[in-house]
Amino acid sequence: MHDIADLERRGVVGVFLASAVFAEAASMQGVALGFPAPYVLVPHPVQDRTDAELRAVAEEVYPAVVAAVTAGS
Amino acid sequence: MKTVLDPTGERQPAVRALLPRPPALHGRTVGLLDISKARGDVVLDRLAELLAADGALVRRYRKPTFARTAPVDLRHEIAEQCEVVIEALAD
Amino acid sequence: MRLPDGLVAVVKRDCPTCVLVEPVLRRLGAAVWCQDDAGWFDGDDTDLELSYRLGIETVPTLLRVADGEERARVVGWSRPQWEELTGVAGLGEELPEHRPGCGSLSVDPSRVDALEARYGGSGLASRRVELAELEDEHEALFDRGWTDGLPVVPPTPERVLRMLRGTTRDPGEVVAVVPPDLVECTVEKVAVNAVMAGCLPEHLPVVLAALEAATAEEFALHGLLATTYFAGPVVVVNGPVAARIGMNAGVNALGQGNRANATIGRALQLVIRNVGGGRPGEVDRATMGNPGKLTFCFAEREHDSPFPPLAADRGVPGDAVTLVAGSGVQPVVDQLSRDPESLARTFAVCLRVNAHPKLPMAFDAMLVVSPEHGRVFREAGWDRRRLLAELDGLLALPGAELVRGAAGMVEGVPEALAGSTLPKFRPGGLLIAHAGGDAGLFSAIVGGWVAGETGSVPVTREVRQ
Repeated sequence: MHDIADLERRGVVGVFLASAVFAEAASMQGVALGFPAPYVLVPHPVQDRTDAELRAVAEEVYPAVVAAVTAGS
Repeated sequence: MKTVLDPTGERQPAVRALLPRPPALHGRTVGLLDISKARGDVVLDRLAELLAADGALVRRYRKPTFARTAPVDLRHEIAEQCEVVIEALAD
Repeated sequence: MRLPDGLVAVVKRDCPTCVLVEPVLRRLGAAVWCQDDAGWFDGDDTDLELSYRLGIETVPTLLRVADGEERARVVGWSRPQWEELTGVAGLGEELPEHRPGCGSLSVDPSRVDALEARYGGSGLASRRVELAELEDEHEALFDRGWTDGLPVVPPTPERVLRMLRGTTRDPGEVVAVVPPDLVECTVEKVAVNAVMAGCLPEHLPVVLAALEAATAEEFALHGLLATTYFAGPVVVVNGPVAARIGMNAGVNALGQGNRANATIGRALQLVIRNVGGGRPGEVDRATMGNPGKLTFCFAEREHDSPFPPLAADRGVPGDAVTLVAGSGVQPVVDQLSRDPESLARTFAVCLRVNAHPKLPMAFDAMLVVSPEHGRVFREAGWDRRRLLAELDGLLALPGAELVRGAAGMVEGVPEALAGSTLPKFRPGGLLIAHAGGDAGLFSAIVGGWVAGETGSVPVTREVRQ
């Protein structure tokens, strides 16, 4: 979140991906930083999944990731 | 919590706003920033394929540790090279 | 809160008189609030809200309350007064007859601004912005685009209230309509930006006057902001106010290091940026700008000046500001001239290069004469008018030297003007001020902006307290 806040300051449109357990932390941190850094949540957990499962996760969240960094028409 | 008074003409909201978003990613340079957590790269690899299929130019970056903010040189490099950045994956 | 009926007292434990009257208060069964020790009596006023709202200036203060309203009040300890207020005889017989009280914490100068901001219904109209918990307050102000590139003092309500004490003007009074966005700017908004710039309250009247001058029609602030040229507003301060608020007219007068000079000029720029919306790269299209666009403000050195005060010569005697469009400082060196004619010629040749030696009547300038140069004119009895007249003569330029192509330079005036004589400066296009340290046979040219209708005309305004 700090990285995205800084990169937006530098003119780069940003989003970060976090697993669902971070939902509250991410939203709290956004409030605490005074910066609504956009994030997309993926289902928890990540580390014990198979490659195929993780690729499916990426496909699932992809539309939300694109939506977070585009102006959505 | 600290309160300050708005020094402006108050024609804009006083919150820090997000940058304006591009209409689409086609033709844009998109950086994928790997925060160095296990298995995040698998998700990023697939995102890279999807972005490339949509016509984005994908560049890959990796910060040394998820525990700290990215080093300033890396942030500068991304800012020089990319219009959009996707950071992943906090687990 | 509604006061309980009966006897109410406000005390602080640090006050010996309050300690003295403790047994009396307990005997009376008064409802007692303590300012500095929450556990001493039942009432806790360590946030000083009650003290502030009741206007307590001295502790102990004893009140008689009926129907929630104060009916009588005594301060300090005085047996007859306490007996009269309470209707109880024989109070504190072991105590002395009288004992003065102590100052209430709620009127402590270090707390009063915060109390007023919190409880006073301060009347401040500006939007309150809550900074987030983990936000660094300085970074937060950068992130919102409110600074000129240097850190600013966070404009808390307390600080803004304190700033507003620097003027008798109403915080809601509209001082100016600030370009480029043409936003009405109140005294309060100026105070917010003056806090950010680092001003003291006594600087505020000068900032207000500078803003009034800068937003006068003829100063053309919008154009000055939008131009690709270097210039920005320069503030010259005249009158007793300059010394009273600690401005520098002496050593390094145009430079850094003096708080009043630095922050007054900066506050004006912050108002233009924040209230008016004039930001570099947006409306401000300067090719290069100049470092004076952060701040450029100095006082005229009046006490040994060969000239009357600049503002007085322009029709505003006493405390006043003169705003000119300025583009930085060009040094003038003449360490040998001992007579005014020779020194005037030095000034003339240096002034001629303002913007370009072949461009007449196009750009204004201000000449800042140093004390050592000024002495030459003072001893010769030359005032500002005389020096200007001499410079006019010396800067009547032959058209043949100015036409396009002359001296191998394409820049210049149309060929048709070859036979004319052209003044370097339009009438009123050259101002002369006096400032600087005792030593140094140098003066300064502050190049201006385009002259006349399309440009900016200097403006002088009174400083009102």
